[in-house]
Amino acid sequence: MAKITAGVGSSHVPLLGVAVDQGKWQDDYFGPIFAGYEWTREWEKAEKPDVVILVYNDHASAFDANIIPTFAIGCGESYKPADEGWGPRNVPDVEGHADLAWHIAQSLILDEFDMTIINEMDVDHGLTVPMSMMFGQPEKWPCKVVPLAVNVVTYPVPSGNRCWALGEAIARAVESFPEDLNVQIWGTGGMSHQLQGPRAGLLNREWDNKFLDALEADNDDVRHIPHIEYLRETGSEGIEMVMWLIMRGALGQKVKRLHRHYHIPCSNTAIGHIVLAPA
Amino acid sequence: MKQNIHEYLAELEDIPGTRIYTAARARKGYWINQFAMSLMKGDNRERFKANERAYLDEWKISEEAKQALLARDYNTLLDLGGNVYFLSKLFSTDGLSFAEAVSTMTEYSFPEYRDMMLKGGRSPEGNRSIKGGY
Repeated sequence: MAKITAGVGSSHVPLLGVAVDQGKWQDDYFGPIFAGYEWTREWEKAEKPDVVILVYNDHASAFDANIIPTFAIGCGESYKPADEGWGPRNVPDVEGHADLAWHIAQSLILDEFDMTIINEMDVDHGLTVPMSMMFGQPEKWPCKVVPLAVNVVTYPVPSGNRCWALGEAIARAVESFPEDLNVQIWGTGGMSHQLQGPRAGLLNREWDNKFLDALEADNDDVRHIPHIEYLRETGSEGIEMVMWLIMRGALGQKVKRLHRHYHIPCSNTAIGHIVLAPA
Repeated sequence: MKQNIHEYLAELEDIPGTRIYTAARARKGYWINQFAMSLMKGDNRERFKANERAYLDEWKISEEAKQALLARDYNTLLDLGGNVYFLSKLFSTDGLSFAEAVSTMTEYSFPEYRDMMLKGGRSPEGNRSIKGGY
């Protein structure tokens, strides 16, 4: 039986990918950010997940303004890194797990989550930066990936409550997959940041840390934070944190915190990172 | 938990210095964003750089938006329905980092903006609500 054994939350700032690709990750600016991921890189080597369900958002790479799926699941065999205007990142292709992905997609639809299914797409920094942060620079990624793309760009985006419930449904779907698989779920994006308008550059250390505390709690209060609170407190792009709730919802009521890291700034953004296991 | 759509949308307009990418903006800026998306292809980037005006004239974009695109006036483009993730294709076509392009929308020069970020970023204090002023 497949099982979700851990959840990881992480920012996915594109500049982190640049730092890895250009070997700058130990310099004065990036050193303190990457130091907070060292624990996780060692832990992942020991955990050896077979599959990561990677919750992220596409940044106008695979999806243009034409088609806007709220929740989309990648059911393909593999995905190439996207050209986001600078040429594709020089990272390995991402190998999918089509059997598990199709199983999750079908189960979710029966469970009344009407997913969009994607067979072919390129994956942008939202997906490849967390891979680099957790796995470094291997020649081949050490696990398969089920990409789960969430619309957090065009409003209304899904509520925190809906994201949490989707996480619960994903956990049920994984548990009904017959093969023995060690599955992790990652929620990415955030933390506080605003990339647009005169208010750009907003960061909120206090609120971000309250959010991390809430993820560790033995209750689900965090699912009820309304969009307007994320937007007022953490900037227009801070809304990406709803994606962390899909991860948290999949872990069950009680969790154990294994690791946590917070750093300001990385480019325009506050970096947050947490590793949780079902307790 | 269900919220009335009109109340929901009204709240989104109550944030200082911010243009939330609502359906109304997405409709208004559709071709601005699709133009920007086209710059993901190297050939299109070259054609745009060779003659920006001629390339823009291939798209169903208003004259006001074309002028804003030529001037890289990103705040006006947000008002006209541009979205930053689409407009970022123009940042990279220009060889600008995300942070540098973002800084042009603020009151700061890029070095000042970078400095603000190193000091912990812009405070939410007084920046949360237009009506409430908190």
